Amino acid sequence: MNGFNFHRAYSIARKEVMHILRDPFTLTLALGLPVMLVTFFGYAIDYEVRNIRLAVSDRDNGPAARRLKEVFSSSGYFRLVEPGPAGPVEMLDSGRAAAAVFIEPDFSKKIKGGGQAQAQFVLDGSDNSKAAAITGYLPGIQRAAQAKLAAQTIKEPFSAETRFLYNPELNSRWFIVPGLAAIIIGLLAILLTALNVAREWENGSMELLLSTPVRPLEIITGKLAPYGALVLAGVFFVYLVSRLVFGVPFEGSHLLYLAACLLFVTAALSQGLLISVITRQQQVAMQFSMITGLLPSMLLSGFIFPVESMPAFFQYLTMLLPPRWFMAAARGITLKGADLAELAVPFLALGLLSAGMLALAIKKFKTDLE
Amino acid sequence: MNRTLTAFIKKELTQTLRDVRMRALLFGAPIIQLTIFGLALSTEIKNIKLAVVSQPGDAVFGRVADSFYASGWFVRVGCAPGEDPYELIASGRADAVLLAPKEGLARSAERGDGKMQLLVDASNSTKARAVEAYSKNIIAAAAAREYGARGEPALKFDVRVLYNPAMESSMFLVPGVMGMLVCLITIILTAMSLTREKEMGTFETIVSAPLSDAEVLLGKTVPYILLGLADAALVVLAGYLIFGVPVRGPLWQLALAALALVVNTVSIGTFISTVARNQQQAMLGGFMFLFPAILMSGIMYPVENMPKAVIAAAYLDPLMYFVRLIRNIMLKGGDAYVLWTNLGALALMAVFAAGLAYKRFRQTLN
Repeated sequence: MNGFNFHRAYSIARKEVMHILRDPFTLTLALGLPVMLVTFFGYAIDYEVRNIRLAVSDRDNGPAARRLKEVFSSSGYFRLVEPGPAGPVEMLDSGRAAAAVFIEPDFSKKIKGGGQAQAQFVLDGSDNSKAAAITGYLPGIQRAAQAKLAAQTIKEPFSAETRFLYNPELNSRWFIVPGLAAIIIGLLAILLTALNVAREWENGSMELLLSTPVRPLEIITGKLAPYGALVLAGVFFVYLVSRLVFGVPFEGSHLLYLAACLLFVTAALSQGLLISVITRQQQVAMQFSMITGLLPSMLLSGFIFPVESMPAFFQYLTMLLPPRWFMAAARGITLKGADLAELAVPFLALGLLSAGMLALAIKKFKTDLE
Repeated sequence: MNRTLTAFIKKELTQTLRDVRMRALLFGAPIIQLTIFGLALSTEIKNIKLAVVSQPGDAVFGRVADSFYASGWFVRVGCAPGEDPYELIASGRADAVLLAPKEGLARSAERGDGKMQLLVDASNSTKARAVEAYSKNIIAAAAAREYGARGEPALKFDVRVLYNPAMESSMFLVPGVMGMLVCLITIILTAMSLTREKEMGTFETIVSAPLSDAEVLLGKTVPYILLGLADAALVVLAGYLIFGVPVRGPLWQLALAALALVVNTVSIGTFISTVARNQQQAMLGGFMFLFPAILMSGIMYPVENMPKAVIAAAYLDPLMYFVRLIRNIMLKGGDAYVLWTNLGALALMAVFAAGLAYKRFRQTLN
């Protein structure tokens, strides 16, 4: 009775695959979610915020004011709108404009006289998705306006020429789409397994399964392997779309990428299993997976919000989260072509966390039997 | 209210809240998420790892480098002499490397073309953009300090940020997160708990009880509407107490907006439960709705910036109207035009969603 019997594990896996295939609804949704995410992040979301509605109150109407307005509209970021009778601030209140610029009556006169003219720039601080972008654009606008307005250009004694490595055009898709694999694994592997195994506990079929000669480890392997394959199919799909549709480069080794995926999938499946053993109820398992699985993948992994910008406590906390390390490895491999030596830390951390998670899940599963 | 219905609702609430883990998740999780959002996440890029490669005895460049580190955005990374700067970036030890010109910055600046080179790891494009913007400002300021300002700039912007002058991310995020959490909890809970009854076969018991279809539906959904509203209140309260996020508009507007949203989401959850056959399907179906709804809502990305087809779809997203409402009420103090247009749209959608859910629910009952 001792030892791991592949045949028995295989039978469990085959049963599980039949379960999955018998339920085309789940299968469609499980594969549909990655498609939707890739389409959204690749197509709908443009990190360079454009079409910002800028209300202009021009009380100068002189040539310099006109040039300043041209600078705004030709930047490509702003769309100038006439303020209504109630004025620009009212437009910000009602959300009909995201920013406003006030040009004083003597603006052109001051510029012509060689002095310094001021323009007041007011922006809506209630919308984070726009405010940060707008403040980021302002220095550039100011430089462009400076060049257009001033009589002579100021020559800087020194400056720096910037070279962007790995993504010279700063295409945000190259940055976001490779990270999506982490979200998809985090979502599908943890949630699906947690729910699936919790269901077996919920309706008592786990006890039934355990009373058969199949050993716990074989049950675990058999139950998790098909989900691992399903998740990898989702990742493969994301890979295809990102390469073929969005032209995201892949500089590194595919084998290394696969290894990173397998490690992270192991960690995620183990986490799902652990949750299901602890909760044994689908609703609780779902909520638990959301908080310990999906949210960290999306928010604390560096997917959008850089880990280095977080307070020290959260930087240490993220070290315990597999998605953080997978994200580092995935981006390093796809964009930088990093090799195993350069990714030693993420791989080591991912390996340790996966092993730890798996050991914990198996231990909990076994102690629960006794 | 009719007594059978009240009892039914009470029973459902007790049942959901009986499990201590469920209580913890329902009321603890929003607080945890809010704290993470408020404390950990900020769109501001900080702690950029910068290495400098200088020529010996170049005091001007040394001072430029110092002003980078003094700015607070950059942290120092050592660079051994003769080390390849590209290798520093490739290995991830540095995010950016500032290279002095070969002859030294002091000499080349005197000739009038001091060109340093800044290598930036652009694998994170947002970060790379921020690094470039910070560097330009720091270098311009350093140049003015070293060689004196060459003429006043002709234009100065006097920037004011309304409603959130310190640009605090918690102020930005609390209203959006509230909408997101309420959606998440109500849709998935409603969908899963109704499907659970189907899965366990207890649904038949309810159907055979002397209750009308409408009573069954109300009894199963009103508890979740109440829980959703409780969570909304909890998030607003926590935002106010922990992060000082204000509620500048009247509370009744806030309550009305939350109610309209929750009726929408609970109806959608009910609808999903009529389609799903088990809880796994219900959960996946919930996400199928939630992901686009959250992405199109304007919480994280501005709606106006999306392609036209997506904008059109966003008009069907109840969360988008709610986010507009809640930002306006909480941070701007409420604007009549924003309130009635968005609340009207939300209410209309709620009536439609509830009607659809009721119709589907009756079909599954019979």
